[in-house]
Amino acid sequence: MNRSHDHDMAVSLTQHDRSRRAFVATLRSHVLQRMAGDLRQHFEGAVGPECEKSGTPLESPEAIHDALKPELPFKAYSSVRTAAQEMVFDVVSDAVDRELETLNERAAQPAKQGSLTLNAALPLPKSVTGIDVHLSPGAYHEERAENDVSAGAVYDNSIDVFAFGQFGKRHNDIGATLSNYLRLKYPEFAPTSILDCGCTIGHNTLPWAETYPEAKVTAIDVAAPVLRYAHARAESMGVPVDFRQMNATAMDFEDNQFDVVFSSMFMHELPLKHIHQYLKEAFRVLKPGGVLWQMELPPMNAMPLYENFYMNWDTYYNNEPYYGTFRKQDYRQLLTDAGFSADHFIEATMPRYTFIGEAAFEESIHSNNTFDTLTGRMDPKGTRWYGFGAWKR
Amino acid sequence: MSNRRIPRKRRGQRHQFFDADGVDEVLSCVLRLTSEVSALSERLYLTERVLEGQGLNVADAVESYPLSEADEAAMSAERQRLIETVLAQLGASAQGAESIEDGAGGPS
Repeated sequence: MNRSHDHDMAVSLTQHDRSRRAFVATLRSHVLQRMAGDLRQHFEGAVGPECEKSGTPLESPEAIHDALKPELPFKAYSSVRTAAQEMVFDVVSDAVDRELETLNERAAQPAKQGSLTLNAALPLPKSVTGIDVHLSPGAYHEERAENDVSAGAVYDNSIDVFAFGQFGKRHNDIGATLSNYLRLKYPEFAPTSILDCGCTIGHNTLPWAETYPEAKVTAIDVAAPVLRYAHARAESMGVPVDFRQMNATAMDFEDNQFDVVFSSMFMHELPLKHIHQYLKEAFRVLKPGGVLWQMELPPMNAMPLYENFYMNWDTYYNNEPYYGTFRKQDYRQLLTDAGFSADHFIEATMPRYTFIGEAAFEESIHSNNTFDTLTGRMDPKGTRWYGFGAWKR
Repeated sequence: MSNRRIPRKRRGQRHQFFDADGVDEVLSCVLRLTSEVSALSERLYLTERVLEGQGLNVADAVESYPLSEADEAAMSAERQRLIETVLAQLGASAQGAESIEDGAGGPS
């Protein structure tokens, strides 16, 4: 029988599982390409010009949202996208349910190279426990058995359906892209200690160990089920990582511990207050000469008006309530508020490393940053990830 | 009785996009049904291929059938066709098709 992944935490997939997964991945792609295209066309060809003509031009993402809400293309896009998002978790959960005992037992095996340190007393933030983020039942933290990994297994299995392959073969393209950007752009920089904050199943943590094999890599998250899974997954792939249950807004680490603090798709899930706390902590645990470097959604001030409306759909409808507020921030200001110097701010948009290979990637990072309709979007035509951060000097 | 331990329904109210109550839920049901139709149709496709080339042990043979690039392309195209068929009334192209029919004059 087919396996879901090429590591030991994989589950067996029947043909029925595979067909349903392929269907939902195709549906997701259809919504995000064809139906999104219909929506844009309806805005640019009808709603936008009509508002211009009547003397009420749409000058903010909120105004575009309000104008499109009563329109059929918006209703259709939103309703199908919501249903497809719910189906992502539904179609992967059967296979995980069938093998949950085995997965939990497998994850409990002694570590060979990395480590797992859980803290059952750690209070979980309300921003995690209060909502089923991404419309995922039980989100990342809910436990259904002793030593449970089900939330991690569902997450790992959902990525390919959700992203229809756009996150790379091992779901690791974001980590591979950002780590290799640092390596190629700053060849003299040789980190020996790297921290990934909000790592979930460690899919974007592991590339850091591959890019900088001399470095000790640590990854933290608040949710035990995803950390157990992340640890077992990394062990089976032979990558040494120390996974620790910890809140990035109040870390247990001493000052000046890490050369790199990394995160991916993390801050936009935090309330603004927690973003400030996290960035102060990141500054504190970084060594002088170290760098904060994170993949995120591009800021609203860098993106065209319609893209800002389009990207912010998730904050209204995908249980990501903090996303819109985060994107409104001046990212450089967020970092200077946390202690970084504005002069040492860095940002870039990058093509996907694992998709285009080293030579084309290296060539691209020396050209100008581009913000366009492919920035931060999953698109087979060529997604560009956005990264920002700062050196601690 | 289901042995499911992972919940399939998220907490909280679903958003309503269409004005009439229940339309979003019906659409969700249709899409789920379509995914099952898609899976069944793929199963049949594979069964036919397997029967052509193998003996009579269809179930085992289907489970281990190695998909070729041509199979993947055929199944992917069929998936796309199915989605377009089911969602035909919701897209811009469907609106265009309606207007042509109106212009040509329908049955009175």
